[in-house]
Amino acid sequence: MQVTYIQAINQAMHEEMARDGNVMLLGEDVGVLGGAFKATEGLLEKFGAERVVDTPIAESLIVGAGVGLAIQGMRPILEMQFIDFISCGFDQIVNMAATLRYRHGGQTACPIVVRGPCGAGVHGGLYHSQNPEAWFFHVPGLKVVAPATAYDAKGLLKSAIRDDDPVIYLEHKFLYRRIKEDLPDAEYLVPLGKAALRKEGRDLSVITYGSPVHAVMKAAKDMAGEIDIEVIDLRTLLPLDWATVRASVAKTGKALIVHEARRTGGIGGEIAARIAEELFESLDGPILRVASKDTHNAFAATLEDYILPNQEKITEAIRRLAAY
Amino acid sequence: MRIDVVMPQLGESVVEGVVAKWLVKAGDAVAKDQSLVEISTDKVDAEIPSPAAGVVVEILAKEGETVPIHAVIARIETEKEAAIPAEAPPLKAPWDEETEGFPGAMARRTEPPLPSHPPVEPSKTPPKPPPAEGTRVRISPVVARMAAEHGLDLSGIPGTGIDGRVTKKDVEEYLARQAAAPPVEKAPPAATAARPAPSGLPEPEGDQVIPFTPIRKRIAEHMVMSKHTSAHVHTFAEVDMHRVAAYREAKKKEGVSLTYLPFVIWAAVRGLREFPVLNASVSGESTVIRKAIHMGIAVDTDRGLIVPVIRDADKKSLLELSRAVEDFAARAAAHKILPDELAGGTFTITNPGPKGNLFGTPIIHQPQVGILRLGQVVKRPVAVEVGGEEAIVIRPMMYLALAYDHRIIDGVAGNGFLFRVREILEAGDFPR
Repeated sequence: MQVTYIQAINQAMHEEMARDGNVMLLGEDVGVLGGAFKATEGLLEKFGAERVVDTPIAESLIVGAGVGLAIQGMRPILEMQFIDFISCGFDQIVNMAATLRYRHGGQTACPIVVRGPCGAGVHGGLYHSQNPEAWFFHVPGLKVVAPATAYDAKGLLKSAIRDDDPVIYLEHKFLYRRIKEDLPDAEYLVPLGKAALRKEGRDLSVITYGSPVHAVMKAAKDMAGEIDIEVIDLRTLLPLDWATVRASVAKTGKALIVHEARRTGGIGGEIAARIAEELFESLDGPILRVASKDTHNAFAATLEDYILPNQEKITEAIRRLAAY
Repeated sequence: MRIDVVMPQLGESVVEGVVAKWLVKAGDAVAKDQSLVEISTDKVDAEIPSPAAGVVVEILAKEGETVPIHAVIARIETEKEAAIPAEAPPLKAPWDEETEGFPGAMARRTEPPLPSHPPVEPSKTPPKPPPAEGTRVRISPVVARMAAEHGLDLSGIPGTGIDGRVTKKDVEEYLARQAAAPPVEKAPPAATAARPAPSGLPEPEGDQVIPFTPIRKRIAEHMVMSKHTSAHVHTFAEVDMHRVAAYREAKKKEGVSLTYLPFVIWAAVRGLREFPVLNASVSGESTVIRKAIHMGIAVDTDRGLIVPVIRDADKKSLLELSRAVEDFAARAAAHKILPDELAGGTFTITNPGPKGNLFGTPIIHQPQVGILRLGQVVKRPVAVEVGGEEAIVIRPMMYLALAYDHRIIDGVAGNGFLFRVREILEAGDFPR
């Protein structure tokens, strides 16, 4: 059966809550309503109000309670109704959850998953379009995950729930119902920290993750006769799968990094710096980035198009890099 | 009709640009879209195309001059029939602020002058003068590396990149063509010929630079590595070889020619059985006592020293050891030793031969922990006891030098082993 990206996320939570009685869910409208996007549909009915908790509109409370529950042995999934509001719980994530293991000499883990819809392209405006990964990418102790396919969405969420460290799980709302695929009947996990080579190629490497993976793949396909593009879907941003990136760029000598998050201070900058540091003598062109413009996302569709990366912008960058 | 050429706005926040270089002069006929001038801003560098076909009648900005956007920098008189745009179209930036510093600009062969000269602290040494215009070729790091590796002159390789830049692909294709070309053309590799003197100093007249062969490189690396790895200690024994010499003479009469080396191997193998810590290797922080005794024999070749290994030397007779040594010597001279035969030694004996001098201090063959060296066998007067009387007699004497790894072998074992080898050789109790 074809499963959408959001159904895959829903399945992952159903399976993990059935598997482990310590897995629970906290969030705004996750229970009775089944989630603003219906990601948590059916969980309250199946697992009851003790394990599926509708909270007040207070993200610092949701994450803070989650950290406390985790210390007491639970494995809470904490939903941000929109990931934009994760900043309200920022202190709890960055100062509490991420440091817990360090503060206790490794004796305490903090197995929480903070998940929620990120990303633009749906005319959500300033507060419903954000991509906050770079804020967390800078924080040791956290893991940051950004799946691009339904298969990965399910497998990575299950791995995130089982992981003993706090995981920021970024599900792209543009992909929720736009992509679907057949998932295996048997249970499976996708390991954290491992990128996926989506397409092999010789001419240049495109390193991307999340929603733009699909635009990059389409561009690679449309240009197949012209430029042989290698596509890496990072899947996990922190820890970064440098070995995969390194092998690819060492082979092709050219790297383009594509992400929907803003350009300045984005993850692409770190990847570019590392390529320059370690692969300088393999480079046959400048390291390029295609990312959102350095502004807040707009409501107006035309402005959103102007701000966000898209296939056209990616194609143009690929052409210029290939020609270099 | 006269058309103005204006300084375009290259980027949203740009308010002025620098006229870097005029590509035309007053009086020149120009085609529509022909590049007129290179301009430079703090965002991008670009060439301004002519808004129409015609003749340049006026140039209003000098090279190096900073001009506000939309200011007129030149005028063009159009030809009679030329289509005239109502307004000179504002030049579209080739790329916006998202991609400033983009390939087009980076691949330029010549740099426009800097827009201004901000005051800077001078560095200690004055900067080198810029290379002559027109000879600069922009190349990427990987192309530079490949050119160095293969000793290529990039000016001879046609470039297909931006502005004729030689790309990695161009070099790969060039190398593939070279490899496919007849052997005459690939002659001596330029890389070897062009290699600089090792010191990096200018090569004095008459000096010869011999690049390391692969085997020399391995030897050099191994020797230094061994010195860094093992705590070398050397100890020496003076061995009276007269019983060995007598045995050799006896065998010679039977038509069998034996050198001194197989005797030393035979004795060393027996010594190793009694002092197994010398037949060992170091693995991390462990000593590995090797069960088998595989004896490495250092053999000189015209390409450098190699060490083929006599497997299970303890299970071989004196004659078999002698044959193995002769076989190695013959095949090493003909470069017929197989790689497998060089591996797996547990101890090494080196015999510099009749010109081996008094003694030497050999370097351990890693990961082994001991190496034995034969000195020259010379006749010497020595004091001996014969029938309870002290006497001076002439004997063939030889110094044996042992290097052992003091990390795992203490002096008692090291000296004990060498003493035992000497005893065995002097006892002359060889199988008949």
